[in-house]
Amino acid sequence: MTPERFHQIVQAYGADPRRWPLQERAAAEAWASSHRAEADAVLSDAASVDAWLAADNIDPPGMALQQRIVERAPLRRPAARRRLWWSGAAVAGVGLLGGVAGAFAVSFFVLTENALPLHESSYLTSSFGGTSADWSGE
Amino acid sequence: MSDSDPDAELIERVGRQDPAAVRSLVARKLPRLLALAMRMLGDRMEAEDVAQEVFVRIWKQASLWREGDAKFDTWIHRVALNLCYDRLRGRREDPRDELPEVADPSALPDARLEARAQDERVRAALAALPARQREALVLCYYQEMSNIDAAPLMGITVDALESLLARARRNLRAQLAGSGLSKDKS
Repeated sequence: MTPERFHQIVQAYGADPRRWPLQERAAAEAWASSHRAEADAVLSDAASVDAWLAADNIDPPGMALQQRIVERAPLRRPAARRRLWWSGAAVAGVGLLGGVAGAFAVSFFVLTENALPLHESSYLTSSFGGTSADWSGE
Repeated sequence: MSDSDPDAELIERVGRQDPAAVRSLVARKLPRLLALAMRMLGDRMEAEDVAQEVFVRIWKQASLWREGDAKFDTWIHRVALNLCYDRLRGRREDPRDELPEVADPSALPDARLEARAQDERVRAALAALPARQREALVLCYYQEMSNIDAAPLMGITVDALESLLARARRNLRAQLAGSGLSKDKS
């Protein structure tokens, strides 16, 4: 570290060693320790500018701004979309099965020209109306 | 120092449209971007517009982002600075050359009044700097970027960056001393 380079570093980056280039920081601090008077003169000059810069504070972003930004982001809606997908698939599946069953029944009648018996009494009786097999003969 | 991008994982989640990641990214980056734009432009409304525009671009690019050449933070700084320069160029054609209007200070208590006045003085001094000097100072001092990150972001060498920083500080010190701007142009 030369005196010239130490001056350059402080004039560019200020008096706080944490802001000095990482690769030269240790050498610059060592130089300052061994040349205290000269270093302090340079550092105090830079420190006044640092203090002035540090006095500038920016108000944090408001909630309204944050909200506007988030609202414009494309967001995934996982639960809703998955439910919609499943319910759509279920409706489509039921419709398809109905269509297949209907087509099968129609083709069966056309080929056999023999409709199924209209009534089969055991289908039409309810548990309240008595059944054809009510064990009454027993 | 690790070369891995500290924002990479978060951006990947934003690219998958993860709502929690979106909110985290806004919380992490918005204050920095707003401060950068505010110090470059000296106007709150314009700075907020710039910050919003940067996020619109982030939302568009997030799913395409690949960790590689540039860090994400460097990229958003470049986007924000480009947007700031667009607005600064627009101002050159605008006859209004005065500093942006500030809030009415009479409504503030004394301590806040003094702090606000100090902020305005610093901001006026920054606004009076040549844009490249201001950019160098804002990146290295306020955004706390290393010279290794800031120089390529500005498209210059580290030596050139240091030269801009030193001139910016000389100009500010001249103002601090009350001697007005003996402005070192360029």
